[in-house]
Amino acid sequence: MKIKTIFFMAASTCLVFIPNPVLATQGHGGIEGVYAHQLAHVFFIISMGGLIYWLKQRGLVRESGWRLIQLSAFFFLLWNLDAVFVHALDDQFKIIQLQHAGSWAVRITSVQNNKMLEGLYYLAKLDHLLCVPAIIFLYLGLKRLLADQSPRAPKQEHS
Amino acid sequence: MIFSAIPIWVVDSVGSFLMIIFSFLCLRLVTKLRSQDRNNVIWTYLLWLCYGLALFAVSRSVGHILKRVLLFSGQQTAWRSIQPYSGAVNTLMFVLVASITLFFERIWIVYQQILKDKQALQSAHQKLVYLNQNLEYMVDERTRALTQSEHKYRRIFEVSKDMILVCRKDGQVVDLNPAGYKMLGLHAQRAIGNGMRLQDYLANDEHWNAIIEAIKTQGFISSFEVDLKNKEGRQIKALVSGSLDKGTGTTVDTIHFLVKDIEQRRVMERQMAQAEKLASIGQLSAGVAHEINNPLGIILGYTQLLLKSKGSKQERHDDLKTIEKHTRNCKTIVEDLLNFARESEPETDVVQIHDIIDDVLNFMQHHSNLVDIRVETEYDPQVPSLQLDEKKIKQVFINLIMNAKHAVDSGGMIKITTSFDSRTGLLSIMVADTGHGIEKKNLSRIFDPFFTTKPTGEGTGLGLSVSYGIIRNHGGDIAVDSEIGKGSTFTITLPVEKNKGDR
Repeated sequence: MKIKTIFFMAASTCLVFIPNPVLATQGHGGIEGVYAHQLAHVFFIISMGGLIYWLKQRGLVRESGWRLIQLSAFFFLLWNLDAVFVHALDDQFKIIQLQHAGSWAVRITSVQNNKMLEGLYYLAKLDHLLCVPAIIFLYLGLKRLLADQSPRAPKQEHS
Repeated sequence: MIFSAIPIWVVDSVGSFLMIIFSFLCLRLVTKLRSQDRNNVIWTYLLWLCYGLALFAVSRSVGHILKRVLLFSGQQTAWRSIQPYSGAVNTLMFVLVASITLFFERIWIVYQQILKDKQALQSAHQKLVYLNQNLEYMVDERTRALTQSEHKYRRIFEVSKDMILVCRKDGQVVDLNPAGYKMLGLHAQRAIGNGMRLQDYLANDEHWNAIIEAIKTQGFISSFEVDLKNKEGRQIKALVSGSLDKGTGTTVDTIHFLVKDIEQRRVMERQMAQAEKLASIGQLSAGVAHEINNPLGIILGYTQLLLKSKGSKQERHDDLKTIEKHTRNCKTIVEDLLNFARESEPETDVVQIHDIIDDVLNFMQHHSNLVDIRVETEYDPQVPSLQLDEKKIKQVFINLIMNAKHAVDSGGMIKITTSFDSRTGLLSIMVADTGHGIEKKNLSRIFDPFFTTKPTGEGTGLGLSVSYGIIRNHGGDIAVDSEIGKGSTFTITLPVEKNKGDR
């Protein structure tokens, strides 16, 4: 209570003696969109990590259906890492630039002309090689669950 | 650095297409799963997850394909105007799928709890179904078990030789077993209906207070000795044990008592103590008698020698006669004491007890004043012959009939009854009178040597002692039952040896 009172009085003093212009509505003319997209990927990574952990912690991975779903989550997690990496290089930090070089080629240039980074970026652009297996594993997992559970319901855990 | 664009385009286009296809395939599978159990929260959860993934796949893949088509067709401007929307929707879909995924653990916990509850409900349902189907049978079984139990405990209640009594805290009797009715001298169950109270049958009010106090403080009472008084006013020593039965909501508290009649045991203990006392006195008497008998013999012998010597003066002769008379008295007493102490073996012969009694009665009617006294005999014809010392048995009957004669006034009655119990092989001879009876305080002493209620000089107090000694010496027993104002009954019990005494 005492600390709150002191803080309130200090803040009031600052407002009175150190005035600044009030910008009531903040603008979003920058690259907030990229950051929001990147944070969404991070959020996706966290949720997939959580799913992998809970499936293991609850012992569900003893069943092949849930094990395949765990594998799917792992590939989604890798895909998100890949996407974060690609967006960081081109949209976020502008380290890599991709330009069309004719009809069937692209030019990838890095700021410091790092060939290895450029090659890595090229491979990372093939992100469907991670997200497609992820959704295929999900499909297989659900298919196994359907086969296993039919006509039974999911088992009760034996913890 | 120049790279081929074809792998990127191919992977991007085909991958986007596959993403859409597989996301919808996933949706189809989950829909099937859910259709099997629409209440399964996990399938519902997976369905929502797959909806999210399908939206994500569609938004992303359509965006990618559109980008390829627009860029390939040279419509960069169109793509730039669509790109922000595509990216934003794509971002929203990430967040949606990630959010749904994060709920997985909570959904799983809820699902497990539902399963547990479901199992509990199923178990309860199965039990209910079983009970519903078997209720009649179970009720029959339980009723039969209860009936058996009731019968068993009712039998214990009914056949118990001890009193079992149930009463309320105020002493009002609720239930009483037949042994209790018998002990208290009551008939049928009318007593309970008449507001019978336990304390009314206790000789001492303090006993009831002590019982209730113990029940209140401890909840039970164990082996508490009381004097019960029955309907005829007779007091019975009894041991009371009881415990409080706390009533349920609809029943009152009751006390369950077990009352054990110890009167017979006390009588036996008294008899044993009496027998031991008499045996001790017998030993003492025998010792004294032996020591006195010899000097008395010498005194009597010398007195008789002096009486036979000539020249004695008349005065000295009379003195010697007096000495002789008293010495003989002393010897008689000593002989009686020896009889009481059972020092001499009986000289037995096969005799008819009824003949002995008749002889004694004839003798008594000739030598004693039995004129105003009615003498009755009631003989059991089944009584066999006995191996007895006739002379000594006659002495017993003389003593008993003389005592009876002294007890009854003129117009009174002396009755002699015999009975034979072939099962036990015991002959009982009862000498009953309608005299003034013996005081209770004297009952335990009447067989003691030299105990008499007659005035000094009228009796030595050895008659019953001698009779006791003789009967005991024959392996029998003698007991007395007396009531002031109504008379006394002496009961002699003698064993009959079948091979010797059969008629």
